[in-house]
Amino acid sequence: MNDEHLECPRCAFDTITQLASSPVPGVWDVLQCARCLYTWRTIEPARRTRRDTYPEAFKLTEADIENAIEVPAVPPLIGRS
Amino acid sequence: MAYDDLRSFLDTLEKEGQLLRITDEVLPEPDLAAAANATGRIGENAPALYFDNVNGFTDARIALNVHGSWANHALALGLPRNTPVKEQVEEFARRWDAFPVAPERREDAPWRENTQEGDDVDLFSVLPLFRLNDGDGGFYLDKAAVVSRDPEDPDDFGKQNVGTYRIQVIGRDRLAFQPVPMHDVAQHLRKAEERGEDLPIAITLGNDPVMAIVAGMPMAYDQSEYEMAGALRGAPAPIATAPLTGFDVPWGSEVVIEGVIESRKRQIEGPFGEFTGHYSGGRRMPVIRVDRVSYRANPVFESLYLGMPWTECDYLVGPNTCVPLLKQLRAEFPEVQAVNAMYTHGLMVIISTAKRYGGFAKAVGMRAMTTPHGLGYVAQVILVDEDVDPFNLPQVMWAMSAKVNPKDDVVVIPNLSVLELAPAAQPAGITSKMIIDATTPVAPDVRGNFSTPAKDLPETAEWTARLQRLIADRH
Repeated sequence: MNDEHLECPRCAFDTITQLASSPVPGVWDVLQCARCLYTWRTIEPARRTRRDTYPEAFKLTEADIENAIEVPAVPPLIGRS
Repeated sequence: MAYDDLRSFLDTLEKEGQLLRITDEVLPEPDLAAAANATGRIGENAPALYFDNVNGFTDARIALNVHGSWANHALALGLPRNTPVKEQVEEFARRWDAFPVAPERREDAPWRENTQEGDDVDLFSVLPLFRLNDGDGGFYLDKAAVVSRDPEDPDDFGKQNVGTYRIQVIGRDRLAFQPVPMHDVAQHLRKAEERGEDLPIAITLGNDPVMAIVAGMPMAYDQSEYEMAGALRGAPAPIATAPLTGFDVPWGSEVVIEGVIESRKRQIEGPFGEFTGHYSGGRRMPVIRVDRVSYRANPVFESLYLGMPWTECDYLVGPNTCVPLLKQLRAEFPEVQAVNAMYTHGLMVIISTAKRYGGFAKAVGMRAMTTPHGLGYVAQVILVDEDVDPFNLPQVMWAMSAKVNPKDDVVVIPNLSVLELAPAAQPAGITSKMIIDATTPVAPDVRGNFSTPAKDLPETAEWTARLQRLIADRH
């Protein structure tokens, strides 16, 4: 794992989990941000893997995640609405 | 001929010169998606792509762009590879009339060979997952045929739905799932969530080419996709029983993923570069827990690149959007000649129709907006005369330029429903819709100066054939 980039490129959260590693040992890992669920392979281009080169248009803040609307909305339970 | 699985279709594509094997080592990103993206930039008869040498993988087999040209779409329907698109749509409409064709149950499905269950489920060990577009939130399953049942009527075969939805892999055994409110699975989920119950679901990957076409087809709620596949194939669709859910799934799938949509739960999803040519996402979506994965030995992972049109998605859902609209309109208005709904899954539609009386074409346009598919699409309708081919865009542009008096022939209706992904909607899910009536007015609509049209000469058809013959004989 590339320890120097253990920060989510998209939301800058610092808890990153490993989802998979390459069947050929040591070629790549698939990492995931525990907060925004952004998922990336460590050998992807810098525009997808590094916070400083990640496109502004796709960056997320904690508020973006918390305030995201539900689609579809959870319906009322029958008999309790 | 009818294909029972993806592999037999890939064999045919290869024999017909419509499958390209990339044997050099490629990177999973950005190579796989960039190559599939490029198929849409090299002309109309691009091949399917097959990769089996991908950096870091030991055992990856990836098929892309399987439906991504008119040649491949024709072959999927068992037609000659050079069949013109209008003829493909007409043949599709002709076969529709055989609906329903009962499926054939076979319980020796090849995906029964291998199984992962419970804590052993690891989608990354079965599928060589990869990213499609730069801004995508992760790796997606975007060409699956997803099976669900109506919780209030679980034994109704017709209400069992098979559809294609975007599915983000958010864990070894977890998926985020997007049910668009207009789609059948959203109704199934709402009924389950109203009762506080999980909704069982089966996700099938790597299917025969007609299964992918019917899964993306706007059909009525109680119409079975399997019975439509039988009609389009000209042979019963082979189905098998999924071991965990008991749902009917394609016999020939490469991979069958079973689990539940967890009741009343939402989690951040996306974004994902969509068929609209724009990303959508950053919303909280339902979540699937995967409980069982069944798969063929050496599974082929089929995926689809989509982004700014045209991409494979546009070929896949072009004809299958035209034909249901044509059939639904003709049921009430036999004057309708042809429907071209190939632009962004029918967000824009061109309809050619004869006119019963003045104002009739506008009524046809309004009816298109109120078909089941129209409730989520058909934001713009262009009506053309019965002798204008809606698939011939220069003819359509002529009709618009010569026949339209904008003040009276352009009608805008505010605040109608549209799918939330439509980029121009405001707010999401609400849009105005427009009718452009480019037909020739007929009585009592007496506007304009159309009494002396310059039609093709009576002898032109004969000369057309003669010129074509003379040109062909030169070679």
